[in-house]
Amino acid sequence: MSEPKETIFETDEHTVPSTASTMTTFAILLALTAVALTVGFSNVGPWKALVSLLVACTQAGVLAYFFMDLRQADKLTWLTVGAAIFWTGLLFLFTLTDYLTRHMAAI
Amino acid sequence: MAAAIPDLTYTPQSIPAPEPTEAQEEARVNYLNYDYTLMSWLLTVDHKRIGLLYLIFASIFFTMGAFAVSLVRLNLLSPTGAILELDQYNKAFTAHGTIMIFLFLIPVIPGVLGNFIVPMMIGAKDMAFPKLNLLSWYVWMAGAMFFLWQLAVGGLDTGWTFYPPYSSKYSHTNLTYAGLGIFITGFSSILTALNIIVTVHKMRCPGMTWGRLPLFVWAMYATSIIQILATPVLAVTVTLLAVEKTLGVGIFDPSLGGDPLLFQHMFWFYSHPAVYIMILPGMGVISEVITCFSRKNIFGYKAVAWSSVGIAVVGFLVWGHHMFLAGQGLYLSLVFSLITMLVAVPSAIKVFNWTATIYKGSISFEAPMIYALGFLFLFTIGGLTGLHLATAGTDIHLHDTYFVIAHFHFTMVGGMLMAWLAGLHYWWPKMTGRMYSDFWSRLAAVLAISGFFLTFIPQFIAGYNGMPRRYPNYNESYQLWNIMSTAGASIQGIGYTLPLFYLIASLFVGKRAGSNPWRATGLEWQTPSPPPMHNFDSIPIVYFAPYEYSIPNGLRALAASGMVLTESDHAAANGHAHGTHGTQGVPSGS
Amino acid sequence: MAASTTGPVAHHFDNLAQQQTTVRMGMWVFLVTEVLFFGGIMCAYTVYRIWFPRDFEAGSAALNVGIATVNTFLLLTSSLTITLGIRAAYAGNQKALKGWLLATIVLGSVFLGLKAREYHLDYQEGLMPTSKKVVVYEKDDEGQEHAIERSVFAINVERVLHEEKFDTAGVNTQRVQLFFIFYYAMTGLHVLHMVIGLGLLTWQLILAQRGFFQHTSRYVYIEVMSLYWHFVDLVWIFLLPLLYLAGSHTFEQAIHQFQHALGMH
Repeated sequence: MSEPKETIFETDEHTVPSTASTMTTFAILLALTAVALTVGFSNVGPWKALVSLLVACTQAGVLAYFFMDLRQADKLTWLTVGAAIFWTGLLFLFTLTDYLTRHMAAI
Repeated sequence: MAAAIPDLTYTPQSIPAPEPTEAQEEARVNYLNYDYTLMSWLLTVDHKRIGLLYLIFASIFFTMGAFAVSLVRLNLLSPTGAILELDQYNKAFTAHGTIMIFLFLIPVIPGVLGNFIVPMMIGAKDMAFPKLNLLSWYVWMAGAMFFLWQLAVGGLDTGWTFYPPYSSKYSHTNLTYAGLGIFITGFSSILTALNIIVTVHKMRCPGMTWGRLPLFVWAMYATSIIQILATPVLAVTVTLLAVEKTLGVGIFDPSLGGDPLLFQHMFWFYSHPAVYIMILPGMGVISEVITCFSRKNIFGYKAVAWSSVGIAVVGFLVWGHHMFLAGQGLYLSLVFSLITMLVAVPSAIKVFNWTATIYKGSISFEAPMIYALGFLFLFTIGGLTGLHLATAGTDIHLHDTYFVIAHFHFTMVGGMLMAWLAGLHYWWPKMTGRMYSDFWSRLAAVLAISGFFLTFIPQFIAGYNGMPRRYPNYNESYQLWNIMSTAGASIQGIGYTLPLFYLIASLFVGKRAGSNPWRATGLEWQTPSPPPMHNFDSIPIVYFAPYEYSIPNGLRALAASGMVLTESDHAAANGHAHGTHGTQGVPSGS
Repeated sequence: MAASTTGPVAHHFDNLAQQQTTVRMGMWVFLVTEVLFFGGIMCAYTVYRIWFPRDFEAGSAALNVGIATVNTFLLLTSSLTITLGIRAAYAGNQKALKGWLLATIVLGSVFLGLKAREYHLDYQEGLMPTSKKVVVYEKDDEGQEHAIERSVFAINVERVLHEEKFDTAGVNTQRVQLFFIFYYAMTGLHVLHMVIGLGLLTWQLILAQRGFFQHTSRYVYIEVMSLYWHFVDLVWIFLLPLLYLAGSHTFEQAIHQFQHALGMH
């Protein structure tokens, strides 16, 4: 018989972020929104869509990391978030491959 | 005090609970007899009762789906259609497909066995979210009733795949509301899966590590991952189709520049993983049944466990093999073809490992084992014929023929349905505390398997020779195959009807099963049948991996070396209140 | 101040820590389904945006970006208020908790009110996708009048784009309907999620009124509510550039449109 294995031992060491931290995050998000709107109302040319999306991703990252408390989250939560993003990525990758390669001969 | 550890020729995962005497059993309160009122059933949050609620209605829906196909098969006796008009035929096969897939194959094992058995297998008192579990059943019932109502008031004639533009522009049937019914049942699917994932992560009893989980739990976990990731995409696809039908124009509408193939991409992103939602739980059941009735440990536990995860992941990357002829780009078609070949590998690993498990085992042929052996044979044929379809070149000829129909029936019916019946027969004594007739159950299994074979082998031949699917009329040269197929279907039907009689009869005249009639190793068998309200009278502690059938008296040996804990040892050693987790392995008395 | 480490534990859990981590995990797994749900429709949107960039820019130009801008700030602030509510529940401050919940509900409701106004204006401008066509008479190059069928939607969107001074060269105005179907579907699904969120927030407010959150260990339920609400905000963060900012707008246009929405023109 092998050594008895560790059982599950749940702990919950979560604390709630301070008010100062929350307000700072809010300020950062407001600033990023202002950037998003500035880009959106401008006419920077063909890169506009990409830059807009990058700003949106940054906003999303800040929101998720601070407001949704990923900062304190355990590995399982990070894996869950990663899976969601990865699978959405798969959907995009394969579907867009069809639409971008339809008029090409194979390989 | 520790429960007395019995003398056993095998090693269960935890110490079995003492077997109640006849008198104790008469007086014992279990999850079935504590309250007989209707409200106690309709408002239950007990995962076991919810499992039975799913069982009743899944069986009813199966019967409806079977009735629909009996119309189809009778009609196909004649090349010009024996009993149905053209439009009625479309509605009949659509009803068969949609009911069987959405109301039976997808929900049955997760809803019945997933709910009932998974918490018991991991030593938990209930699922992580019991009220959500009940909600999931109500949502399923609402969606199913809504959907069936739509079928009743006009039917659906689009096939279960309801491709636009036919479904949105030209069909006169109630697609929007039928789609809403599917949407609602999809929600139920998500809630059940969520419950299972969180339960497996958070509710395992002491000693139940991931490496000691029964393979049924691994399979259910993988299934739940697929449900979580895939079902929402179906939901949004059905929504967009409903928008198109309602507005009269939509994003799949070529007159606006839309692409009907986009619907197919989004539809199959769900529907291909859906077939893995259907088969993986069945594969989990097979692992349990084959080990028990071969009295042997599974060959390659890790391989079988990880292959479930592998099927779940790779199954998301193959959906385009349904669209080789639809206008998909050639480059992507080749990518999908290659990956489809790869997804066969984990399934093959399982089949090889199950076969190796049986080899040199001590095999007995009770009904669950007959179904499981039937699964091995039939699913393998189904899987192999999938390769013909995965090869883009041959698929050009086989697509939309009866070859495809035979392929997926071999996997779904010959595979999944046989596995479901194996699981139902395996765990029936646990759920009800009764044994069913040995003779009738074995007869039913043999009839089902042989009837199935006669039904679908001719369809391979007809399809290979070019008979198209979904056609109500066909060339005379296919008639022999169709007649054979319908004859086989009748035999199958008897095989599927018999359980209704002998299983219900067992409730009244069946012998008392006792805790562990099959002498199995899982935690669910170490507690009385029917189980008590909270599953276990004291929290089980797991000492062994599953399937240690070939090791006699392992628990006694462990107890002799001082390594077995009672509940009170455990609590004392860790200073926790009764019922908390702690580290295991502290020798009693230290 | 810390949340109590003891509190009511449901019958099927062994201890409080197990309950708390389980509840959190449940919400995160649910959010995965929501990511795939919105991800699905965004994938479809991306396909067509790549195929028909001009038509999608035109469609975006026809939207009321003023309302969208104000709504963005409302939603962001509501994310702040619900986060502050978690801290209040953690500390056991019932009054503050109810205040923050109420603030979130109010901000969300104003968002919905403005959205309703936006949909109403779209409807008034005739920007609903439809298969209806009308017969119009147009002069061809030789000055001859011909009767042709034109899409009702195309006519309406041309008028709106003309008002917004958007150059419609190279735009297939019938095809702009594709964009608008996405606009209504995506914002509509977002609205649906907000309505559900507001319902849940209201329920939590009622529970707070009944003293449910006196046990400070129950702050975790406000936390999972906030996870859902933040997700709704996240979706909007992506909807804004994809739908509203894809076309060319100016800041002046935005102000003008918002004033128009409030009936000031």
